[in-house]
Amino acid sequence: MRTLTYYPGCSLKTSSKFYETSIREVFSAYDIGLKELDDWSCCGASAAHTINETIAHALVARNLSLAEQENYPLFAPCSACYNRSKITNERLRADKELRDEVNRANEPLKCLGTLEVKNIIEVLSEYAGVERIARKIAYDLSGLKVVPYYGCVLTRIMNMETFDDKENPTSMDTLLWATGAEVAEWPFKMECCGASKTLTNKETTLRLSSSIMDMAITMGADAIVTPCPLCQLNLDILPYLGRGARNLPVLFLSEIFELALFGKLSGAGSHIIPVDEAIKKVIKVKTINTYEQRKNNGDD
Amino acid sequence: MNDLSFLNEMEKASGEKISGCYQCYRCTIGCPVVADMDLYPHRVIRYIVLGERERVLTSKTIWTCLQCVTCSVRCPNDIDIAHVFDALRKIAVKEQKEAETDTWKFDQYFMDSVKKHGRLHEIETVLRYKIEKKDFFGDAKMGMGMFIKGRMGILPHNIKDRKGLKEMFKRLEDKKIGG
Ligand code: SF4
Ligand code: SF4
Repeated sequence: MRTLTYYPGCSLKTSSKFYETSIREVFSAYDIGLKELDDWSCCGASAAHTINETIAHALVARNLSLAEQENYPLFAPCSACYNRSKITNERLRADKELRDEVNRANEPLKCLGTLEVKNIIEVLSEYAGVERIARKIAYDLSGLKVVPYYGCVLTRIMNMETFDDKENPTSMDTLLWATGAEVAEWPFKMECCGASKTLTNKETTLRLSSSIMDMAITMGADAIVTPCPLCQLNLDILPYLGRGARNLPVLFLSEIFELALFGKLSGAGSHIIPVDEAIKKVIKVKTINTYEQRKNNGDD
Repeated sequence: MNDLSFLNEMEKASGEKISGCYQCYRCTIGCPVVADMDLYPHRVIRYIVLGERERVLTSKTIWTCLQCVTCSVRCPNDIDIAHVFDALRKIAVKEQKEAETDTWKFDQYFMDSVKKHGRLHEIETVLRYKIEKKDFFGDAKMGMGMFIKGRMGILPHNIKDRKGLKEMFKRLEDKKIGG
């Protein structure tokens, strides 16, 4: 059993509650335990640093200092939370002046910047591992063609080494491949969906998100898969933003794992673009060599 | 009139080495919203070097930017252009020169909510913005749809240590505005 301190962020407690449920189900199948950070606060997302950078760092540092007391790596499933946590963590570790200023503001809390911060792709790659993922598959996903959508801020972080290539990440492709789904190469892995302007400039968001959806359809995909709750919501509300054309379901990375492990989606009802067609493609065929069967045969 | 101290001002405010730019256009070529901009990103950077302070601060571009950071990771001279735009926004607002007020307003309402509750109260924040914009029905269908799907937060947003959080805001707001 591996344990992680879990920082849900605002999205996973409100608009993407079903993502949390999905993550918990999938993680427990791989013996990954989550301990929710007590009294966590908002990371400030993209709003805080626009208004005031020091406050943005202090907001994140508040959570980091609470997490440092826990001694487990910090898991942030939302890409915005992950991005902000990574940036502040690195900056505070490297910049003593900023660290002192932020710590004075957050007193009695103290942040050192020593924590390991991880996103869902990292956790699944490192803690479950491609081999164990492939061995545990109980449902055949080979009829489901997916396009991996990483979104803007997961790997686009300045001034530091990122866990995957900043412009052409492949780590989620590998995970999806391990679940048995058909993974399509496509050019829009990191194209911006315009989430930051959904309320202030709907036309821009509609245009950007629509072209991502169109490209996925052109690739012949059955679903778009993303690890980020902001990207998921933004693409999932396309019908409300005024898009009349066809839409593909937008699944969370953990939901593909749910399909592979359990053959169903616990959060199917929370999707705005219906997911039934995609689910139908996978639950039909049970693979002959499921992990359980192989274990019973003693050949595991 | 060109203000040659502007480059120095902006390099200080952003911490970015703007003078390293050699106008390769990479930032502009990769930008997803370049069609909506009045100044291309590489021009903004150039105008900062040339001291065209007014032109840059009043530009639409710094508000059109989505902060997707594509330009920054592609810059061969490691200039975080998105960060420079972020710094320009603060100065534009301070001097009331912003070409567009919606982005700042929404971000501010977002922060007010976080300051008050510790976590984002989506409905409260969106409604406040909608009322301010007098746009009551534009997205009503979306709101209802999300509500039915259980995707609108109705949970408590208050953290326990709101006192500590407010104290942090107070300490840093008193110190300097804009950071
Ligand atoms: S990418 Fe960098 S060097 Fe090239 S024009 Fe833009 S700011 Fe200048
Ligand atoms: S960060 Fe802004 S300027 Fe840079 S590519 Fe994205 S939208 Fe364009």
